[in-house]
Amino acid sequence: MRGANHLPLILLFLPFALLPSLPLGGWGAFLLDVGFFVLLFTALALSWDLVARTGQLSLAHGAFFGLGAYGAGLLAPQVGTLPALLLGAAVAGAGALILGSVTLRLHGLYFAIASLAFSEVLRTLALKLPFTGGPIGLPVPPPFGGTWPLAAYYLSFSVLLLATALSLWAEKSPFRLAQAATRQSEAVARVLGVRVIRVKLWSLLLGSWVAGLAGGVYGMKTLFLSPYDAFSLGRAVEALVIPIFGGLYTTLGPLVGGVVLVSLEQALRLWIKEGYLVVYGAILILVILFLPRGLVGILGRRRG
Amino acid sequence: MGRVLEVVGASKRFLGLQALKEVHLHLEEGEILAVIGPNGAGKSTLLNLLSGLLRPDSGRILFLGQEITHLPPEARTHLGLGRAFQIVQPLPELTVRENLMVGALFGKPRVRRKEAEAWVEEVLRLTGLEGRAEALAGDLTLLEDKRLELARALATRPKVLLLDEVMAGLRPKEAEEAVALVRRIRNAGVTILFIEHLMPVVRALADRVVVLDYGEVIAEGTYSEVAGNPRVREAYLGRQT
Amino acid sequence: MELLLQTILNGLLMSGVYALVATGLALSLGVVGIVNFAHGEFLMVGAFLSYLLFAFRGTDPLLSLGLAFLAAFGVGALTYQGLIRPALKAPELNQMLLTFGLSILLQNLALLLFGADTRVVAPPYQATTLSLGPFFLGAVPLGAFLLSLAILLGLQVFLTRSRLGLAMRAVSQNRLAPGLLGIEAERVYLLAFGLAAALAGVAGVMLSVMLYASPTVGFIFTLKSFAIVALAGLGNLKGVVPAAFVLALAEALVSTYLPGGGGLVEAVFFLVLFLALVVRAWRLA
Repeated sequence: MRGANHLPLILLFLPFALLPSLPLGGWGAFLLDVGFFVLLFTALALSWDLVARTGQLSLAHGAFFGLGAYGAGLLAPQVGTLPALLLGAAVAGAGALILGSVTLRLHGLYFAIASLAFSEVLRTLALKLPFTGGPIGLPVPPPFGGTWPLAAYYLSFSVLLLATALSLWAEKSPFRLAQAATRQSEAVARVLGVRVIRVKLWSLLLGSWVAGLAGGVYGMKTLFLSPYDAFSLGRAVEALVIPIFGGLYTTLGPLVGGVVLVSLEQALRLWIKEGYLVVYGAILILVILFLPRGLVGILGRRRG
Repeated sequence: MGRVLEVVGASKRFLGLQALKEVHLHLEEGEILAVIGPNGAGKSTLLNLLSGLLRPDSGRILFLGQEITHLPPEARTHLGLGRAFQIVQPLPELTVRENLMVGALFGKPRVRRKEAEAWVEEVLRLTGLEGRAEALAGDLTLLEDKRLELARALATRPKVLLLDEVMAGLRPKEAEEAVALVRRIRNAGVTILFIEHLMPVVRALADRVVVLDYGEVIAEGTYSEVAGNPRVREAYLGRQT
Repeated sequence: MELLLQTILNGLLMSGVYALVATGLALSLGVVGIVNFAHGEFLMVGAFLSYLLFAFRGTDPLLSLGLAFLAAFGVGALTYQGLIRPALKAPELNQMLLTFGLSILLQNLALLLFGADTRVVAPPYQATTLSLGPFFLGAVPLGAFLLSLAILLGLQVFLTRSRLGLAMRAVSQNRLAPGLLGIEAERVYLLAFGLAAALAGVAGVMLSVMLYASPTVGFIFTLKSFAIVALAGLGNLKGVVPAAFVLALAEALVSTYLPGGGGLVEAVFFLVLFLALVVRAWRLA
């Protein structure tokens, strides 16, 4: 990616930009739905990778997603679609700051477990708090009063563009070196002058914003949220398997991984109602054992 | 400006083990000071206190007249206190050039990228790593690793450099090259405190030597003064037979 | 007062099973050095085995205990050979992701095979209660508690008396002891991992009667065990029993005294897990 070769990115995005205007007949609605989820969950995966670049393996991305979804869902009737999405992201960011500031000293594994516990506490709260609708769930209005059928699709597209832009920025700017140094050795990074605490918090914050936005858009598409769905650990699983499959610590990896895996998932869901995560579990194991650098790693090896 | 770095009565315990006891130490601008002592004398603990990876239980550390006892490592680096590690710790997934860029970009607050790039070129040249700039740090030989360790610390533009047994594991010929490199760094205006247990290196480099034993300073002076000190001989011979 | 004592009693009875599961997790963490996210899935295997035997053969869960022990040991040993051993030298995070992947795989495989419903094994004595003055003791929780204690005592004897048990403790105290690397350590790792799984499998049978079998029952117990192990001090076997008691008690108190406490019970565990990790990190630094 260092040669500023944007061709693969453009090739990836083009079909999604054109999708709404293609004459797809009876398949149109289905493919737009698939496209919506591919865009949204790929954005979530990128936001996870953004955090993972500092060595923080987050299992709380389901929670950030849920915070954004509930935040936006609860506020949308009062403040309108776009402000609600931004406020939802801010709620997710607040959650990330709380998580991040108390887990600063936790490394790798223990950060992962703590973030998982954090995520489960939030899900329980979502079930129990008086204003969330509890286990019954929360109805969410469609974006912009439902006047524009493609609104959710384009919102999803925008979230992915934003996630990609953030990821590319982080990859091309000095921030990349700060993240990489923090990930590879915190002690070395600090002695070299990297403010690791800031780097970790900012990464978590940026990641949670994108995840929160994605959650907000998700609610406006499904029109209904439940704690089991919005805060599900399954979301965090997707968010982490996609980058690992596609290639960690890159922009292209999560993008490629997301397009492949989420399409597959949507197709499988036609036949399998529950349990499709079996595929994610299997892929996680196989990739870790046999393909440590992901899909992009294979391509990279052939090129270089 | 005489004393650039000063340790005033620093103590540190680990789980009942007294690693450092009331250590007083100072570093004069422009000198090369060696801290020596038998294994377990507290040398590495001292270095960790100086670079901020550990905090003393009591005592103070002053750098350029400012108290830094409780500053985190990155803030000390920003003030101009650099450090190289004993166990070479490259950032293995980054290239040599990128390793140096980390130091050059973040070693001081608000460094422009262009400035950092230019400085990295200079450090690469000074340390003889130009040819390996694009190699992954995980793929270097031991000698190159040690050079990288020095170069990376240098990239933060330190006024004072702390070196933790950077010669360990080198063959005599290689150590000679490294000694020459440390001299070049000093001649570029950097004050140096180093920990070492290869005596020929200490003799060749140090203007002044401080000897630690059981966490206490037991002698201080030039190499020949220290080498003739009976307490020092006892500390070494007592345990190294 | 009576309610309080009854609550404490309930907590005490539950703590046995918790200790059993958490000891398994502590064993794989302490001896093999693996944080096993799939630990609860071994429990799930035991629970479903008990359910299937009961539903199709009418097998009494008491008889299933032994079978579940062996089956879970087998699954654990296979997991060790297939996933853990190749990754012993891999970065910690890779090991974690592997076991996490296995957990997701097994959970969803169970979901595909059995659906999301909870299934209870109901032998004739399931609802029997004994009264002890003003208090009630469920026969099954009491039996499970006593059996768990017996198994844990047996494990203690094995670890302190047998040669293999001693080797296991030696490995746990110094994972890189040079003399023990090689074949010996390999065997110890395999045994420890299998044993850890077997403990969870037995607990699974108990829970199939006391609670239920379901695809996600295991994962809940993975998290609960993490909480217990984190509270006990990572890899510390001796601390597991008291930690399990503290948590089971807290859980019982919350579910009795907090309005709508049922749903908050799990939050107690997660909060304890979260705080135990955070406090530990700040204290170590």
